[in-house]
Amino acid sequence: MRRTRIWALVAMALSAAVALTAASAAQPIEAGEAPGVLVSRQLMESRALGIGDLVRLSADPTGGRSRTFRILGAYEPTPDPMRFAQPALEARLHLPDLLALSGNPSDPSASDTVSSINVALVNPADADAFARDVSTRLPGTVARPTSAPDDRAGTFLVIERFHLAIASVTMLGSAVFLLALMMMLVDERSDVVGTLRLIGFTRRRILMQVLAEGTCIAAVGTAFGIGFALIMQGAFNRFFQWRYDTALVFLRITPGVVAQSILLALPLGIAASAIASWTLLRRHPLALVRR
Amino acid sequence: MLRVLRLAWLTSVRQPGRTSIGVLGVVAVGALLFDMLLLSRGLVLSFRDLLDRAGFDVRVLATDAAPFTGPRIVEADAVAAAIAALPQVEAVVPVSIREADIVSETAASQPPGRVQFIAADPQARPMWTLVDGRDLSAGAGANPPLVVNRTVADRLSLSPGSTLTLRGACGPDGSVLPPVAFAIVGVAGFPFDDAAAQTVAGRLSDIGRLCEGGMELGVDMLLVRSNQREGAGRAAAAIQALLPPLHVVTNEELVERFSRVQFSYFRQISFVLATVTLFFGFLLITVLLTASVNQRLGEIAALRAVGLSRTRVVAGVLCESVMMVGAGAILAVPVGLVLSVWLDDILRALPGIPSDVHFFVFEGRTLVAYTWLLGAASVGAALYPMRIVATLPIAATLRREVVG
Repeated sequence: MRRTRIWALVAMALSAAVALTAASAAQPIEAGEAPGVLVSRQLMESRALGIGDLVRLSADPTGGRSRTFRILGAYEPTPDPMRFAQPALEARLHLPDLLALSGNPSDPSASDTVSSINVALVNPADADAFARDVSTRLPGTVARPTSAPDDRAGTFLVIERFHLAIASVTMLGSAVFLLALMMMLVDERSDVVGTLRLIGFTRRRILMQVLAEGTCIAAVGTAFGIGFALIMQGAFNRFFQWRYDTALVFLRITPGVVAQSILLALPLGIAASAIASWTLLRRHPLALVRR
Repeated sequence: MLRVLRLAWLTSVRQPGRTSIGVLGVVAVGALLFDMLLLSRGLVLSFRDLLDRAGFDVRVLATDAAPFTGPRIVEADAVAAAIAALPQVEAVVPVSIREADIVSETAASQPPGRVQFIAADPQARPMWTLVDGRDLSAGAGANPPLVVNRTVADRLSLSPGSTLTLRGACGPDGSVLPPVAFAIVGVAGFPFDDAAAQTVAGRLSDIGRLCEGGMELGVDMLLVRSNQREGAGRAAAAIQALLPPLHVVTNEELVERFSRVQFSYFRQISFVLATVTLFFGFLLITVLLTASVNQRLGEIAALRAVGLSRTRVVAGVLCESVMMVGAGAILAVPVGLVLSVWLDDILRALPGIPSDVHFFVFEGRTLVAYTWLLGAASVGAALYPMRIVATLPIAATLRREVVG
């Protein structure tokens, strides 16, 4: 039922734990049969490394017990929203190389020790039962399904809630702005509205006309707003990707977001037109034409 | 000047609907702007306050890795003694943090509850605040003393006098260590705890009972209180000169590092939102004032014709803008404060955030920045309508009004 697989490649953060020295450093590096290593693009750039370079890696901050590796390639690290503000200075080693580098030489079991094991189940639906089974049979180990909620999910739920709250306040401000604009738009044409009332147009008919106009304005405004957001999306992402040197996408306008915007903006625009025109239509036609 | 203000006031109250909407718009915009200013430095201020509250202003680590994630300081006693001998230093406290599993509550089918064990010198001033019982320095008889946080005390129904058995989760390669029984002597609040944190504190000398190797493996950090005359900077420099391989960092430097890396997201988001909000407010006032002036062109031309100077009429428009923004800005401060409490509650639910940390923190300079920004927006928003009034052709406008 269970098929256990230890990933051959382990990503290891090198910024703090592993000292890295380029071939150009003072101490010469013997090439020999140097094992291969992949280096993140950010680390390649920050240390001016190139493919084929020999580097020395060590798990000791003093640089002791270092081993020589040859850079076989560069990779773009999988963007991690939890660590986007930290430079992705990392490398990928073959698991035996990493264990040989980081293990305690006086401890024979160190070369057989890993921090975690990824398990692919034949039936992913059994994940919960499997995790419980492992915890019972192997005391001291922690087994959890990858779909289990963790701190990461909680973090993004909170951030989403915060952005929703900010959006609500912004919507309130926008609604006031819209109302002010529509009131002025209608008010500027009080003469025309007054004249129309005097020649027999009913309040209902004028209201419908203003509503139709408000709908058109709201539709154009919504389309413009969505278009502007789509244009800004690229600029926003490019700025933050440059700022944090990451491939992470910070802003994505999905069809759902567009639909949400339309559902909010159109009714708000129409409601603002209705309120603004109603305040005008309540007045006497003679007052509207200032007579 | 008073006449100009009176003219602006009368113009504003003559159009109560429009003025109200303008003020309401500024309240919404101003509240959001105020909150974004609070957010821009709130986390940094709160974090600095948290660090300062511990009573130590310099931290000594083995490397520049984040605290408790890097290698430990070995021969900590000798290092601490050397640092304590410096004239710039008032006190040194070695601190280590280990993880331990709660043994007494462990059921076979469930993973044990895990606590963070802070080991510190019991004679030094504690970095936690005692809320019940006694501190570690008082001792506990046969079993080593332990102070627990409120979460652990409530969850396990512990109080001073109870016993808690822990098993160190710090054995080499995850090996199972023997359990150790501790006597609870007190319940305390730990400054860096989040709402769900399970933290306990014991004597540094007891870490050897909990974890193999104990003190020989070194301590995570040395907390240093600088001599008040010398200050943290000089103390840090003296320690660095004495022990060059160690990483010495002051609270200021730690805060600066965190604000540059870990906290930068909220600074960026607050900058973007503050800019958008301010532009929005500027646009709102410009549109309202322009429309108001356009509707009163005949009236303004008549005032000019009867002798009001151009400067006075233009100043009236400026005053109108300042009054509208001013009224909105004043009302926006309490609204913003209430809003910030709500937003702060949302963000403080982030996992791992200490309970005492706040994202929105008020300081005097926030109010100054807020006043300057809205003041500039009110002046900027008035520029276009002021230009309309300043360049208004009196005779042509009056004629158009009469003919219209």
